[in-house]
This record gives sequence, C-alpha cells and structure tokens, in this order.
Amino acid sequence: MKKLLFIFCILSIPFSLEAEKKDWGRVSASLESLNHVYVDDATNGFLPVTSGDPKYNYLRGSRYASNNYLKVDYYKGRLSAGLQLEGYFPTTIGYPISESMLSLSNLYVSWTDNDYSVSAGTFYEQLGSGLLFRSWEDRALGLNNAILGARATYKFRDIFAVRVFGGVPRMGKVGTGVYNTQISKTPVFGLGLTKTALAAADASVSLSDCFGWSNLLLSVEGSFLYKYEKMSEYLLSEGFKTHNTGFSGRVNLDYDGFYFKGEYVGAGIQDYISMYPRKANAQLLELGYNAGGLGVSLSARRLDSMNQKIYTCAPDGFVVIDYYNPSVNVLSYCPALCTQHTYMLANLTPYVPLTDGEAGGQIDAFYNFRRGSKIGGKRGMKVHANFSTYFSLNQDGGMKGGNMRMWDLSIDVEKQWTKKFKTTLMYSAQEHDRGQMGSVLTDAGVIEQELHIGQSHTVVADLLYKWTSKFSTRLELQYLTSKDYQKDWMAALLEVSLAPHWSVFASDMYNHGGSKMHYYNAGLSYSMRWLRVAAGYGRYRAGFICSGGVCREIPAYTGANITLTATF
Amino acid sequence: MKAFTLAIALLVSTIAFAQVPSVKVENSKGESFDTKTIVESGKPTIVSFWSTSCKPCIRELDAIYDALPDWKEEADFNVVAVSTDDSRLLAKARSFAEGRGWGEDYILLFDKNQDFMRAMNVSQVPHVFVLDGKGKIVYSHTSYLPGNEIELFEAVKKCR
Repeated sequence: MKKLLFIFCILSIPFSLEAEKKDWGRVSASLESLNHVYVDDATNGFLPVTSGDPKYNYLRGSRYASNNYLKVDYYKGRLSAGLQLEGYFPTTIGYPISESMLSLSNLYVSWTDNDYSVSAGTFYEQLGSGLLFRSWEDRALGLNNAILGARATYKFRDIFAVRVFGGVPRMGKVGTGVYNTQISKTPVFGLGLTKTALAAADASVSLSDCFGWSNLLLSVEGSFLYKYEKMSEYLLSEGFKTHNTGFSGRVNLDYDGFYFKGEYVGAGIQDYISMYPRKANAQLLELGYNAGGLGVSLSARRLDSMNQKIYTCAPDGFVVIDYYNPSVNVLSYCPALCTQHTYMLANLTPYVPLTDGEAGGQIDAFYNFRRGSKIGGKRGMKVHANFSTYFSLNQDGGMKGGNMRMWDLSIDVEKQWTKKFKTTLMYSAQEHDRGQMGSVLTDAGVIEQELHIGQSHTVVADLLYKWTSKFSTRLELQYLTSKDYQKDWMAALLEVSLAPHWSVFASDMYNHGGSKMHYYNAGLSYSMRWLRVAAGYGRYRAGFICSGGVCREIPAYTGANITLTATF
Repeated sequence: MKAFTLAIALLVSTIAFAQVPSVKVENSKGESFDTKTIVESGKPTIVSFWSTSCKPCIRELDAIYDALPDWKEEADFNVVAVSTDDSRLLAKARSFAEGRGWGEDYILLFDKNQDFMRAMNVSQVPHVFVLDGKGKIVYSHTSYLPGNEIELFEAVKKCR
C-alpha cells in the first residue's frame, strides 16, 4: 500500500505543478547511458577477449562495457545545487578511464544574484577563448577537467565585470590499464584530483557602455592565471617551475555587422613533451562581417609551446605523457580551427593541432540566396565555402620549419527544390602531411597507419525526400578519390524516418582502392519527448574521435551499441 | 514509516520541474546575455539548442524558419536558437546563422562553454524546449526527424 501511495504521488508530479501553492524549488535531471557489446572480428583486427592484448585486460573477459552519467540540479530562487554520478561497468574501449567504478564526480552549490554570484564545489570555467584556460566536459571524448574549488563573480551595470576562482582540477583518467600505470587507482572523490592547484582572475570593461556609444561595441578584457604544480627534481633542474603564471589580453569590437576580436596569451613556462622549458604563447585573431544573409569570418592563430597540461598527476610528481589520449588532463583549449566535417569520408583524417608550434587559419563564407531571387528561385539556396591551412613553426617532431601540415577546401550547396525534395552537395579537397599528429605520432605508429595521409578529393550528395509530412527518407552517396595511402573509398547511407518517434538507418563505408574492407553500420532509434533510445550494430574503423577540436584515439571495434538519453 | 513515506512523497510531488535558470551567455554581438530574460516578453518561446556540426539541429531550425510565416499567423511566440559551439566554432556559428537568415527571425544566443546547456540538462543536441508565457517548460524533445516540427508547434499553440 505504501509503495502504491508513493508511486501515485510520484506520478502525480506533473499534475500537481499547476496547483502548487508553496515554492519548494525545481528539479532538473538528465541520464545518459552508452552500452557496448563487443564481437570478435578478425577482419577488423578486433579480438578483445581472445587476443590476450593487455589493453583489453580491464574488460576481464567480458564483452560488455557501459558508460553512465546521471546529473541532477536543484533550483530555488537564486540558489542552485547539483551533483553528477558517473558509472563505468567498465568503460567502453579507448576511453581514458579503464576501471569499473561508480563515483560522485560533481557536486556544487551556487548563489546567483543580479550583480554577483558565488559558488563552491565543482564548476567549469573558461578564460577568453580558452587558450589560457578552459575546464569543460565532453563525454564522447571522456574529457572532464572540472575544478573543485570556489568561484565568485561581480558586475557593475553592463560596464564592468570580474570573476575570480581557484581550485584543483579533476583527474582526467583513472585506471591500471596498459597506458595508465602511473595513475592512482583509488580516487576518493570523482575520479580523483590532480596535484595541481589553480587560481585565476578575469576582468572585462565595456567602453561602449561606459561612454554610451550605441552603434559601436568595444570592450577590453584581461585574465590572469596562477598554477602550482608539484615538480620532480629533474624537471626543476631543467628549468621548469613549481609556480607558474599566465595571462591573456583581449579586445572585442563590433560595428554595423563588422566584428574584430584579438587575443594575446602568455601561458608561462610549458612544453614537457620536448622537455625544453619554453615560454608558451598564442595569438588569435578573428575578423568578420555578418549582415543581409551574408556571413564571412576569418580566423588566424599562432600557437607556440602551448602544451599546457597537468603532467604531474603521478604520485611521485614525475611527468606522465600520454600519446594515446591527447585529450587527457588538458588545461588549455587549442582546437583545430578548420571545418569539422560530418560526412564519413570527408572526416577520415580529422586535423589535430600541433600545440608545440603552428600557425594558420581559416576563412568561411556563408550566403543565403533569398527566396524569389534569380539564383535562389522559389525556395532559396544556401552556399558555404571554407578554406583552412596550417604550418608548423618548429623543427621538432620531425617537421621542418614552415612546413605546410594541412589544407582543406570545402564547398557545399543546399537547395530546396520542392516542398518535398532537398539536396545538399559537398566537395572537399584535403591534403594532410605525414607528421600531422606531431608529438602524438612520435610514439604511436598505430595511429599513423590509420590516417588517410596525402591528398584526397571527396564528393557527397545528400538527398532528402519527404513523402508525407512525417515520413521521409535521406540518402547519402559519397566518393573519395586519392592516389595516396588507402586510395579510393566509397560510402552510402540510407535513413528512413517516421516522425516524431522512429528512425532506421543503414550505412557502409568501403575502401575499394586499398584494404577492401567494409565498415558497415545499421541501427534504429526511438524518441518520445524526454527520452531517446538508439541501438546499432556495426564495424567501426580505428582513428580519432574529435569533438570541439580535441581528439582521442579510438581503436577499431565491432559490435552492438545501445544509447539511452533522458531529460527530466 | 508510513507517515515518513507519505511525507517524502508529498514533498517530491510539490517540487516542480525545471524552468529557465539564470546563466550568462552571449548574444549575436558578443554581449553578455542573462538567460532568465528569455521569457520576459511573456510570450511562449521555443528554445532550440544546436551546433554547426549537428546536421539534424540545422534541419530543425531550417524547418521552423520555413514554417514560421504560417505559424506566426496562428500564434504569437519567440524562437531562441542557442548555439552550443565552443570557441573553436563560435565565429563560424555567428556567420552560419546569418548565412541562413536565422538572425531575422530568431533570437541568437551563443553558449560557448555550454553553461546554459548544462543548466538545462541537455545531454545531446538537437534538444528543443517550449516555454509558456510564464517560463515553465511545457515541452521538451531530444533529436529531430523531419516532421517533428508539427508536434513542436502543437505544443506552442497549447500555451495560449
């Protein structure tokens, strides 16, 4: 009876909202669960249980892996509090954590007033573009460098704003797998904390608000970062410092559709990879014009020794360098400023920046030919072009100074022909240098083999047809031609959707010019309001998973996957 | 024990689900924007989380953009498109939105460190919410399939 009463009350939540008299606050929650079932596939070189490969030891003979995240937030007026639970039973392969564990990873309480806020516990922060410092979470990558500490913000009207925070970053990886031997395996909070401590301050002044300019927006910003790291005697003797400081200065300008952003970063003494202490610095420039259906943006960036990572997380304070998980323990956010391709073949070789030293940039142009115009026709047409290129600065890592590391020219055109039929055509020409992975490559031949190095040309046709208002099919046809490495590829994807709930897809990516390998994949998904469940089966190629420009190596695998996402 | 269970259950039943928390994001000019002001107009509001690398997100916002002239004849509401692109793609997201004409009809917000996304407990994009005139979430949906916008607009019309 008690259970029935309890269930009744829980189910009555949505109906009780309208009648609520007293404000008890509000709860928001989300659950994400990613589950893999692995299947031996000798063709793909994937034998996780039978091969005896030590990197799969953590599976302990099981073929099942599961990553789970439960996040709950509570709001009452200006007060908020929340937590995140993470459960790995054990982690999916290639993930930076290789242990089975259930942990309370985030816990915070915060007070947000009109002009100020204070928070304690875990939080995420970013200074400027993130070049000097960024803490964030990316579950696909297994990246979470949340800070455990305290933060305060204050603003005076729209003229002046300041933030200060300090704390200890969460550890980026845990486990005793073959690549994780130097990390503690008994974390006490979350996934454990590093031995690095941070303190930062950030201030911004809006000159346009200060002087009452209405058309011109001009602001200047500055950040300061202090970092304490436990150092080994060896590193200290080499010139690295226990106490390190960095700064960032920024200018933002916006006038009548034009904008300009400039940032200079000095990140203190860095670069453990080359083992030569150097003054890290970076410069970022963004220029653009957005108005009247035209959007043009130019980004240029130079990185010098920006390997700002937490290397001293080993108990003995020595350096841990993880070539296989470049996303682990990052403090600086140095993403690849180029097109993030979403079509399979155009994304065979995602670009990973050479944080040791590189310079380059990209230009994007978007234009919307309006409805009724000569080219746009009845329903308009959208065109986008991007060109990006990067050069290395240093001789290190086998690169010659000034060497071009990559270039990518991409053009796509979207056209809605009728109410039912829409096409997207894309062309991408790319060239990637052999040393593109930079320091990551120096100790990882496996990674090198999986990259499509050299020049390639890819064409994609994406055709969407709506048979009824809720029933549609989408067909992707792709072809990549190259004289280098694995030569030509072809790929196709068919997706059938029945809105608002069901979607089924099947795809194949075939390297007919080289390995003769098929990478097939099929699956279905069901969505209803707050819940989405997706299941699939396929053979997945080794390579890099890149999200937001940060990349992680993923080994080849074959098997089934089930993903559940719920938001309450 | 029975009384305890009942007390807990009644407490839980009086807790409302999330509305819009106060988080600082950027508007299309790069100025700071407090998300709690989204609902100040008192109109129903569609809040769509998207990113430049998410094709279903773009399809959804395009579908809303195409249907908007007809929808506006039936209901008065706002559309807020929240880009979750981080600083890598932030400049591109602004140009992208302009290049699709969204700036004319949508309130464009840029959540470069995903603070608003986290506060709304959005795990994946696309994720769309419908807020009524008082800011209460009356509809929420993850993923987009062509035709989902019909259900979305039905939720907007129910806000009247």
